Amino acid sequence: MIESFLFYAFAGVAILSALLLVHIRNTARALFLLFVVLFAMAGLYLFALADFIAITQILIYVGGVLILLIFAFMLSNKELLADLQSTSGRFISLPNWQALVLVIAFLSLMVYSYLSWSQQMPQWIAQSEAKGKMILPTDNNIKVLGFKFMTQYVLPFEIISVFLMMTLIGAAHLSRKESNK
Amino acid sequence: MADLIIHILVPLAIFSFIAGFTLFAVYAERKIAGFVQDRLGPMETGKYGLIQTLADILKLLQKEFITPSAADRILFAIAPVVIFAAVFIGFSVVPWAPDFIPANTNTGLFFIMAVVSIDAIGILMAGWGSNNKYSLLGSIRAISQMVSYELPVGLSLIAAVMITQTLNLNDIAYLQGIASPEQIYFMGFWDVTDVGGIFAWHIFQAPHLLIVYAIFFIASLAECNRAPFDIPEAESELIGGFHTEYGGIKFAFLFLAEYAMMFLVAILGVVIFLGGWNSPLPNIGSLRLADWTTGLGWGIAWTLLKSLAIVGVQMWIRWTLPRFRADQLLTLCWKVLIPLAFVCMAISGLWRILVIL
Repeated sequence: MIESFLFYAFAGVAILSALLLVHIRNTARALFLLFVVLFAMAGLYLFALADFIAITQILIYVGGVLILLIFAFMLSNKELLADLQSTSGRFISLPNWQALVLVIAFLSLMVYSYLSWSQQMPQWIAQSEAKGKMILPTDNNIKVLGFKFMTQYVLPFEIISVFLMMTLIGAAHLSRKESNK
Repeated sequence: MADLIIHILVPLAIFSFIAGFTLFAVYAERKIAGFVQDRLGPMETGKYGLIQTLADILKLLQKEFITPSAADRILFAIAPVVIFAAVFIGFSVVPWAPDFIPANTNTGLFFIMAVVSIDAIGILMAGWGSNNKYSLLGSIRAISQMVSYELPVGLSLIAAVMITQTLNLNDIAYLQGIASPEQIYFMGFWDVTDVGGIFAWHIFQAPHLLIVYAIFFIASLAECNRAPFDIPEAESELIGGFHTEYGGIKFAFLFLAEYAMMFLVAILGVVIFLGGWNSPLPNIGSLRLADWTTGLGWGIAWTLLKSLAIVGVQMWIRWTLPRFRADQLLTLCWKVLIPLAFVCMAISGLWRILVIL
């Protein structure tokens, strides 16, 4: 009872603040609304028993990316921002058409998956339910994740870490003062 | 229904503890400042000035709500709540005694790290919402400091977690005393599983963890914007930093958040490095001091005592050391603490493979 109430509260907050976020004209408030959206999404991940993903979302997106966004906003030129905001208000403009195509594609995808899944459970879900291979709220998911990362998924894991290392070195190189030139 | 009542009562208890702690800590801070600077501190209100902070709170509560006319009203109003809530949520996963913990989750430590980073968003909200140059500069300084010092905090915690092999704060505390499910070695050679006491604490389980704790302590001082890292609120340059425009009960919330943060980092360091609720007294032969001083009441008492001692050290440092310059602050972080933390992390890995296993 309380769980479903919390779920709908988080979902409602996420959807409403996301709608408000794209509608609002004040960029600073929009950035802080993004924080609300990300936080509510993290709450929804908890309902899927993905506690690690939920916390990582807060740590990386709220604690890192969002702060960088706000920093960039605060340090950027006011006229440049005003230029960005003065887009065409007409309904049939180019950005609107692209958005419309994306929205229709995404909606039809969701409707299709709802129609095909609501009639019968996919085979693999029914199979693992019968075998009892399910994640329970009391399981130690972190331990399983750690083992999986270092054994089954060690190659993708290492490739991602090499990529992150490359971006770090690139960022350090770009921000360095060019002394002998 | 009983669950729901407990879920409401526990946060209320923690909140009232934080409020009481803040009252006590502000008084202690002023007395320590007085002692360090060779004066008496508050003496007039009550015996030895004991109810001075109560009087201060009463004064703050009856002040007028002032919102600057050019401020962003919504952001200005909710910033103190966000800052306080970020710190307050962190208390939900900290153990006070054996299995006496608000939320016993497997991701406790990771959760605290994530939640505390929300604090930064609140500070940016306050700085931007005030629409004041000093507030904005103060908040930008605060964020650049907090974001840089999150790295040494995180790395030092990783170095400790590589030894403990768990992120559950309750289990981490269990691993440092006589109730430990695994063998404990003092400095890697002396089996102290039955001895317990101070020898079983994490800082003594491996020699490099002492350095790790020093890194954690220094970086956590900077995380809560305390002197000698209080550049964000340097009075001589920035008036009051990001809380220049705040007054009345909103300022009281910011104040509460600052002291709650001090206690949170102190208790986190205690749980991870200094034995948590385990007694510092070891078993000596038939003198079973550690067995006698472990339990629910003792656990709460030890946690409180150790954390308050750490808070006392934070205050002592605040009134002893001068403020760092901004460039010195970042040099200390990036050129000293982070490389040292990386080295300690590597040692932790080797220690786990070569010594413990």
